[in-house]
Amino acid sequence: MSVSLSARNIVKRYGGVVALSDGNLDIHSGEVVALIGANGSGKSTMSKVINGVVVLDGGQLLLDGKPVRFSSPQAARKMGIATVFQELSLVPKMTVADNIWLTREPLKTNGMIDRKVMREKTEALLDLFSGTFKADLRPETLVSDLHPDEKQIVEILKAISLNPNILILDEATASLDSRQVERLFELVKRWKEEGKAIVFVSHRMEEIFRIADRYSVLRNGKTVGQGDIKDITEKDLIQLMTEKEKVFQFTKAAATEETNGVDHQVYLEVENLTTETLRGISLKVKQGELLGIGGLQGQGQRDLLLALFGDIPYQGTVRIKGEVVRFKHPRQAMQKKLALVPGDRAKEGLLYIRSILENFLLPSWQKYGFPLKMKLAKRDALAISERLSLVMSGLMAPVSSLSGGNAQKVVIGKWLLRDPDCYLLDDPTKGVDVNTKAEFYALLTDLSQQGKSILFYSSDDDELIGLCDRVIVLHDGKIRAELKGASLTKENLIAASMGVSNGGEA
Amino acid sequence: MKRFSWDEMMNRYPAFFAILLLVVALIINLILQPNMFARDTLNSNMRVFLPMILLAAGQAVVILGGGIDISVGGIVSIVNTILATQVGLNGSPEKMWAYVLVSLAAGILAGAINGFFIAFLRLQPIITTYATSFLYVGFALFILPNPGGGIPADIANVYRNTTPLGLPLAFYVIAVVLVIWMYIRSTRFGNYLYAVGGNAEAAYETAVPVTWVLFSTYVVSGFMAALAGIAITMLSGSGNAEIGVPMTLTSITAVVIGGTALSGGVGGVAGPVVGAITLGIIQNIISFSRIDTWWETFVKATIIVVALAAPGMINLLRRKKL
Repeated sequence: MSVSLSARNIVKRYGGVVALSDGNLDIHSGEVVALIGANGSGKSTMSKVINGVVVLDGGQLLLDGKPVRFSSPQAARKMGIATVFQELSLVPKMTVADNIWLTREPLKTNGMIDRKVMREKTEALLDLFSGTFKADLRPETLVSDLHPDEKQIVEILKAISLNPNILILDEATASLDSRQVERLFELVKRWKEEGKAIVFVSHRMEEIFRIADRYSVLRNGKTVGQGDIKDITEKDLIQLMTEKEKVFQFTKAAATEETNGVDHQVYLEVENLTTETLRGISLKVKQGELLGIGGLQGQGQRDLLLALFGDIPYQGTVRIKGEVVRFKHPRQAMQKKLALVPGDRAKEGLLYIRSILENFLLPSWQKYGFPLKMKLAKRDALAISERLSLVMSGLMAPVSSLSGGNAQKVVIGKWLLRDPDCYLLDDPTKGVDVNTKAEFYALLTDLSQQGKSILFYSSDDDELIGLCDRVIVLHDGKIRAELKGASLTKENLIAASMGVSNGGEA
Repeated sequence: MKRFSWDEMMNRYPAFFAILLLVVALIINLILQPNMFARDTLNSNMRVFLPMILLAAGQAVVILGGGIDISVGGIVSIVNTILATQVGLNGSPEKMWAYVLVSLAAGILAGAINGFFIAFLRLQPIITTYATSFLYVGFALFILPNPGGGIPADIANVYRNTTPLGLPLAFYVIAVVLVIWMYIRSTRFGNYLYAVGGNAEAAYETAVPVTWVLFSTYVVSGFMAALAGIAITMLSGSGNAEIGVPMTLTSITAVVIGGTALSGGVGGVAGPVVGAITLGIIQNIISFSRIDTWWETFVKATIIVVALAAPGMINLLRRKKL
């Protein structure tokens, strides 16, 4: 069995955003190709193109030298391409066995599912990972009762039960523990010898060097390097992923202030914060400090901000100005003058179909008495929209009529009205146009000069380096590195995000 | 051994809570009506419960698949008016059989219309079936504007008084429904039903024919509503275009009490069948406890609300403990 798949000059756009402009990938039987890239470089899109989840806008896919087009994941599956999805494709309230064999259930002659055979086949699959999970992962366990790592194992088994020629592992190791990763790698070696081709998408540099035969590096939607892994070093790979040119000129206001000798108090102090994804985070933020939070997506940044805002339960201690607080509801965090700009602005940050005015005033209505002093409310909202130079047809227009950047301004604006002391920002410039970004940067610098503390998570590494005095890099729910001053470089940031240990200790 | 897990009990045995509730209701009913297990009393109760049992079974299939069917009452009305006008009080048994078949076809057609809109045109189930419910009740009123007509008394008595081996006819019907359900549950279609209701997107990514599964649930529901319509016509012996209207919400209540979640993908058909019986017994208890008619609806509603809220309250208490 010999198989090869080539992706040539792949183009994929989502609306106006170009996710891939020139993606290339070659996979052959019996080898593992690592698909590498920083945030937003297009590696997820690349794997979705290969497995038929998205339809490409340009370029060509060649399977064994013949052009192919996948209209759906099923079409790709029929061609022997299986994917271990990062967002799991499991039905929670069904058993492990039912999930793995869904649509391929072994049947008895009377049309009933042969549960016995299905159970045995599932057990045979589970044996591949035996010893690395708890005893309660059995064929008849409900998927909703499983831990994330066990769900990931089921997802891997579901893909491998198709006996594919090409297997795509999209961040399949992210939620596995080291023993499970070890086992997976043994299996990958075995599958490789059987002649399968494997695409390995991972955040972990160490794993890439252990398992991959070849690499393909994406940067800004372009493939910028391909070759044998033995011919390259970690450092060179990181160099490849790093961009040289800079788009923005950033001004660091807070840094100069520190040199002015103004002694700021510690505003926020976090000790050993633990949630489902966070594993013991400790940090301090001073007044007027703009603390950057970096790392690849989904390493716990969201949980950190939500926990601080009282949105999700956590263990650990949080102090604000030395006083221990334990928020159980965002309302309490708001009373302590915290503000959260959530990651998904349409769903979490805004009442999308309601007016700009309502959105601005949502956290502040109580200020306007009963009956509401609408005139005053309108005047305040107008003042904020002018301060943010919001482009709108009027305060009564629905937020859905605004562009992404302007909608994000509304999210920030609704907090400005309350004048909080601390802003928690979850990737606020995602999907925001260049001009608005520049305005945001000015606003953030302005706020920190006023003595506001800001926790700023961004998936854009340039922003973090340009704006922040100090950046903590999260990896697997832990602080991997703290970068400041001379160590705050893009190389160090990416190295730390990828879990390279000598990344850049401050 | 793992500790007793309420979640697991509810998942593995969706009828667990419904049976608990049924036992409580039965005990209260038995105190108020000591002869309730006598053959005639039992039969007269079960024949009243049977239409709702059939309706709830069909509703359960739709809800398992992640939808809801508000038009079932309308379908019951159509079937009732077809039989009452076309067979008539002096009709022959052959005529009755012929129109039973016509009724079943009408139920399937009505279900297929719902299914077409919801599965193929991707419309909201609740709105679609709400709209078609008016269509179906309207059609029933067109067939029979004023209550009247009916089926011959001797045919109706077959339904009312048949007790093979001393057990009510309804027991046999329930047994058949449950056996068929257990078969379907263990076929590939059964798995598809749970997958679509549980996570339609994952099911689609795994190549489950989501559209056809959704469509079929409404056809099944239409068919079961037609059976319910036939049963209630034989019970009452007469025609009334409004007869099905109050049954719709009761059928949904029976499904929920039976442990089948409105979100879909959790539960079964046995629970809703038990739920329908429980609702019938609650009605019995109210009639026997000589509550002033003014209070009847209030008391009934209170019992139902408490019954619906109980699993949620138990979960709340469990969360507090953790």
